[in-house]
Amino acid sequence: MTVYIVVAVVIGMIAGHFLIPDTWISSSDFIIDIGLCILLFFVGLDIGKQKTAFQELKELGAGIIFLPVLIAMGSIFGGVVAGLIIGIPINESGAVSAGFGWWTLSAVILAGHSSELSAMAFMSNVLRELIAIITIPFISKYVGDLESIAPSGATAMDTTLPIISNCTNSRTAVVAFISGVILSTFVPILVPFLIGLG
Amino acid sequence: MGFRLILYLLVLFVGAFLGYKELLSRNICQRVSKIQMVSLLFLLFVMGVKIGADDRVIGSFMEIGTKALIITVSSILFSILFVKGFRITARKIKSMKKPQGLNNKKESLQ
Repeated sequence: MTVYIVVAVVIGMIAGHFLIPDTWISSSDFIIDIGLCILLFFVGLDIGKQKTAFQELKELGAGIIFLPVLIAMGSIFGGVVAGLIIGIPINESGAVSAGFGWWTLSAVILAGHSSELSAMAFMSNVLRELIAIITIPFISKYVGDLESIAPSGATAMDTTLPIISNCTNSRTAVVAFISGVILSTFVPILVPFLIGLG
Repeated sequence: MGFRLILYLLVLFVGAFLGYKELLSRNICQRVSKIQMVSLLFLLFVMGVKIGADDRVIGSFMEIGTKALIITVSSILFSILFVKGFRITARKIKSMKKPQGLNNKKESLQ
């Protein structure tokens, strides 16, 4: 799947740079809007189907929800701090960081806003997943189990879950999965919200 | 953008509702993952086209990448700090409320 994604983006970039006339580009926002609605419908469908996550959430108690909320707040705060350092509007850097590692969705949502921001969101969230994969073993060892879920963000429900599960224990893995599902739900809500604040 | 956000939320919740209530048959659900993949790849292609057509982005790719890296590192660091900070505070409040020694078991779960 990752290969397909990279190929689709690279072919698109080559086509956009060399082949497709500029007059067509202006209609791309409209296509993105429609496509995004279709995609979000399926994203919602997937989230709704995560019944095990909802059941486990009930069993573990609502206190678990603190973790993804803290991760979301920390991530966005970090994005705002970074925005102040590199000198870009903080609603933009905040929106990029609110991708929580879900690179495809965050980049596509921001594609309607500006191509620069969309490219930044894509790279930033790919990097988040990569850095999470690399750092989880160290964080779980030297900082703590729950802290090791933080870098994963939304990817804690799929790609980085096996690593968390390996480095910690089964209880933390369950918490990580739920945190990933909740953060995934936050992405399509927070990214358009934060970018709309500008 | 306010209108868009409401539209996105509406679509998302309709999807979540249908998914949760299992209102779509299994046959459709199996096809859904394919439609989902195709629409995602198509969207990413269109996104790529937009990025590729923007000379400003192509020209400053390294710069954008560096900014992306700074945002990522900062947001990972603060997300860890927020979780760590909350746990330390929660532990302090707990140890203030309860006498030492009684809450060891609960603390290990926190």
